[in-house]
Amino acid sequence: GKEKASQLFSEGLSFDPSTFVQHTLSFMGLNWLEDEGNNSEDEAATSNGILPQNAWHILASRCGLCFQSTPAFHYMYGTFHAEPPTPKLRVE
Amino acid sequence: MALGEGHQRFIQTMMVRGIVNEQDAKTLHRHCCEVHREHYVSDKLEEFIQVINSKLEPMNMRIRTRSSEDDGTQYFALVNTANTELTRMSSDYADNELELFRRTLDLIMTSDSSTASSTDILNSADSLQTRKLTKSAAECLLKRLVFDDWLVEKRGDYSLSTRCVMEMEPYIRTMYDEEQVKVCSVCHCLAFKCQICANPLCTVKIHYPCAVKYFKKKPIQKCPGCSELWPNKVRECRQSGSQRHR
Amino acid sequence: TSQVQKGTEKLTKAQIDEKTTELVQYFLVKDQKKLPVRRAEIVKNVLKEYKNVFQEIMNGAQQRFEQVFGLKVVEIDAKNHVYILINKLEPVEGDQRINSSNPKTGLLFVILSLVYMKGGVIPEGLVWNTLKKMQVDPGEKHQEFGDVKKLVTDEFVRQRYLEYTKIPHTEPVKYEFSWGQRAEVEISKLKILKFLGELHNQDPQRWSQQYKEATGQASASMSQPSTSTQR
Ligand SMILES: [Zn+2]
Ligand SMILES: [Zn+2]
Repeated sequence: GKEKASQLFSEGLSFDPSTFVQHTLSFMGLNWLEDEGNNSEDEAATSNGILPQNAWHILASRCGLCFQSTPAFHYMYGTFHAEPPTPKLRVE
Repeated sequence: MALGEGHQRFIQTMMVRGIVNEQDAKTLHRHCCEVHREHYVSDKLEEFIQVINSKLEPMNMRIRTRSSEDDGTQYFALVNTANTELTRMSSDYADNELELFRRTLDLIMTSDSSTASSTDILNSADSLQTRKLTKSAAECLLKRLVFDDWLVEKRGDYSLSTRCVMEMEPYIRTMYDEEQVKVCSVCHCLAFKCQICANPLCTVKIHYPCAVKYFKKKPIQKCPGCSELWPNKVRECRQSGSQRHR
Repeated sequence: TSQVQKGTEKLTKAQIDEKTTELVQYFLVKDQKKLPVRRAEIVKNVLKEYKNVFQEIMNGAQQRFEQVFGLKVVEIDAKNHVYILINKLEPVEGDQRINSSNPKTGLLFVILSLVYMKGGVIPEGLVWNTLKKMQVDPGEKHQEFGDVKKLVTDEFVRQRYLEYTKIPHTEPVKYEFSWGQRAEVEISKLKILKFLGELHNQDPQRWSQQYKEATGQASASMSQPSTSTQR
């Protein structure tokens, strides 16, 4: 089952999540900040930066090309009851 | 006539956009035909949309059109036309959020300026019959209504977006009485921003772009209803300050 | 025959058309939040006394979706009769339908890529650690995504983009992520791999196992390409 599939993935080029993160953050427009010197190589290095406000939108735009998702239908009319008011209920 | 993939792509894009102006509609028409290598004729946008509508109408959907009250630009919007138990299951807004929207609609329809102040709307949030909305939840809701293009906000005042008017027109005509539902005497469409006659006994209202067209070749501008001189500036330019208009 | 249940012979075309339209409306409402639709709820909310003609009404609705909207009704769970809508029309460059105002797609892409490239199932820790490196912390409220943990383990799971399953015999309980039933039919592994190749400046075929899996998915897919772009 799924365990077997995981074992077979030792073939071919490896995939490193940290490298993946770096490339993706660059794509999203991350402004890398100067390394402060005593940061460990681990988590701090890759999050040393300022992501632009629309970073995730930039990624979403490109990824959308991989999805065959549907457009949703949004509307307002018909979402609530509409009984014509009697003359007495006329709005002031 | 069956729909081609170009038509389907157009429908899907309208589902996402909600409303497009004439230029975008033309561009989209060409794009949809090109992507699917279907025969494209510019200037045949209306027919293209008619074919689409013939298939959408049995499903209680329709692409409607309306002209801007500011400059006459034509807009196209995909709207829902049914009010049923199922359409009321629509999940974009909660029942108390919809109630606040209805209150906002009431405020807009009963005001001379066709606007509702954020203060008045937020005050309504306190007295909802379904469930109360906090001030901050109501503010959030207003932001969302603007983002989703149902309302337009300008300096703290809210008015109906073109898209909203296009979809809610049947509701507006049913729920509000003659005095509140203003109609343009030239195009007979709903009027929110319009010029009025100087004669206090005359009910004639005309959209600015409709007035430009109507008075174009007329050296003397007279009200179509009562023949009094039309007091408003009618020139092919941005609306000037010296106009009597609501 | 029971008065309550209606067989096809007793129904007029108008009645069938009306129920078909209602089923289309129902699917569209559920699709607003990308929620799957169960046969049981269709019977309860739409068909009601017409439940005997489920298949005929469903066929009619599927036809309307394909012919009018270019959408497809897909049964993602044949055992429990669960359906979703996917798109027949492929996305193209500059496609206005790609709702670029929905950043959640980006977050989903990161998680799905991790799972896919790491063998199809990964422990949740790997997902959380990777997201933290992207300034998305499940323990903190995120400016764009709000409650990240809820979005990932609840919303994406209910939408069937992800599966979040308990790893047996773990104490404290640990979970693992895999692709959900919606992701399997809605997302092209080949396109994901090609984009990953672009990001890494890498030929995607060098990830040979993943590439094999991607081409397998592409040829097994029943939909014909609807534009000139390759799947
Ligand atoms: Zn007019
Ligand atoms: Zn007059």
